[in-house]
Amino acid sequence: MSAISAIHGIVARDLQRAARQKSRMLGGLARPFIWLLLIGGGYGAIARVDGGSYHAFVFPGVVAMAVLFGGMLTAISTVYDREFGMLRLMLASPAGVGVILAGRTLSAALVGGLQGLAVLACAPFLLDATAGHYLAALGALSLSAVSSGALGLLVASRLRSVENFAGVINVVLFPLFFLSGALYPLAGVPSALRTVARVNPVTYQVDLMRHALGQGPEFGLTFDLLALLGSSILALALAGALFDPERRFLASVGGARR
Amino acid sequence: MTSPNTIEARGLGRDYGVTRALEGLDLSVEAGSLVGILGPNGAGKTTALLMLATLLRPTRGSARVMGCDLISEASAIRRRLGLVFQEATIDGLLTVEENLRFAGRLAGLDGYSVKHAVNEVVQRIGLGPLRQRRASQLSGGWRRLTDIARATLHRPALLLLDEPTVGLDPEHRERMWSVLDAERRERGITVLFSTHYMAEAESADRVLLLSKGAVVEEGAPADLQRGVGVAVAEFEGPAGAAIEAALVREQLAATSMRTERGWRVGVREPQRVAQLVAEAPGGVTRFLLREATLEDVYFLRTR
Repeated sequence: MSAISAIHGIVARDLQRAARQKSRMLGGLARPFIWLLLIGGGYGAIARVDGGSYHAFVFPGVVAMAVLFGGMLTAISTVYDREFGMLRLMLASPAGVGVILAGRTLSAALVGGLQGLAVLACAPFLLDATAGHYLAALGALSLSAVSSGALGLLVASRLRSVENFAGVINVVLFPLFFLSGALYPLAGVPSALRTVARVNPVTYQVDLMRHALGQGPEFGLTFDLLALLGSSILALALAGALFDPERRFLASVGGARR
Repeated sequence: MTSPNTIEARGLGRDYGVTRALEGLDLSVEAGSLVGILGPNGAGKTTALLMLATLLRPTRGSARVMGCDLISEASAIRRRLGLVFQEATIDGLLTVEENLRFAGRLAGLDGYSVKHAVNEVVQRIGLGPLRQRRASQLSGGWRRLTDIARATLHRPALLLLDEPTVGLDPEHRERMWSVLDAERRERGITVLFSTHYMAEAESADRVLLLSKGAVVEEGAPADLQRGVGVAVAEFEGPAGAAIEAALVREQLAATSMRTERGWRVGVREPQRVAQLVAEAPGGVTRFLLREATLEDVYFLRTR
């Protein structure tokens, strides 16, 4: 009961924070639409994929992008909590690190999932999708959101300060997205990059969304599901192991006496 | 080790790499008492409090807090512990009430209990008019009082406070202590706090003086003050060294300390000091005879 209560508290707080950071929320919502318009529009003029429009091809990837950025950035904001003291408050509670990680994953998944849902709502303008497709897409979106939250927590577990935040977007988020098959089919890329893409969990988020929306996927459905579940569990386990509760306190005493 | 004491620590110590932050703390804190930890920056106060709060693992020693082992029963300790850090730990984007609700949930309270506890603590601390205000819009004093509300919301049996009044104006400082006094009076809560303010420490039942990672003095403030001397003589000027030497020679000095500008001597017979000063060749530029304070103990033991 106390674990559920703690998770409830963490999720409620994160959602309240997300709702009040309006510029961040609007930016998160606008980002995928800008990509859809600019990248989709630009490449749509010169490329067709599998006989369909480039817009239709890139759409599942842009949904995955919205989920990825929303989920990961919310999870990575744990580093703000570490820097400004809220994390120590959570660690001083009876909840324990595991419950805190579960709460943060859930709230990150909710924020990412809501942003992805906003993009998915535009599917009728670009795709011929049935109600079954949308239902499946909701499932894919949920799993992708959890996966993004778990990845975000893994990154946050070793991130020391908020100054590294912009670097994380450039060094972690964009490479994960570009190497996921969201913007181009992986079949045509050099084998070294294809190998990297295969160990990228976002590849399976995008592929699962293609499955759900009835597009030509790269991998089997079961493989996508197992890869996402496995990588999420691994990311959370690693985050739990790397998440050193003492680090914040060692910083507070400056490695010296106080 | 069974004890009615809220805290029973034996040889509790912590190293940071090769730096020995806390040598070995022996501490017994009676249930319902108010105990202060004094010491200069770097003495080990924060380290001691964080270890007792189960947030730092001790390198050596052991402790039982509220009857629970510090290591193996950390979760049980946290359930009954209130903790106030040096900086107020509240979320500026949330309102006062949302911050309190968050704290209640973290403490494991269910929805009904959280609502009840928030209403009660808001009334108790006088946060009613600020309840719906964003924490970022509060003054430092009200942020700290919200922090105290956050730490006492779940009715802990032990409250640990790390320099809770730093940066507070006298009005908010007094208000904070009156809230804590009420907690002790009405619920018998045990309070262990660190501070740099001697006046705050003087109101404690017991004081622990830390220096360079070790306990250098411990006892009731009045007892510690008596140890300095019946009174304290402060004097400056060319005759200062001669007066101090005379006091030591005549065994009138219980304690003696050189200050930046003169001498501070704890004396056994105040009347004789005045006589010595009056007779001193070369004279003194400043002479003061006063009661011993905890500040005298602090300077004597930490220099």
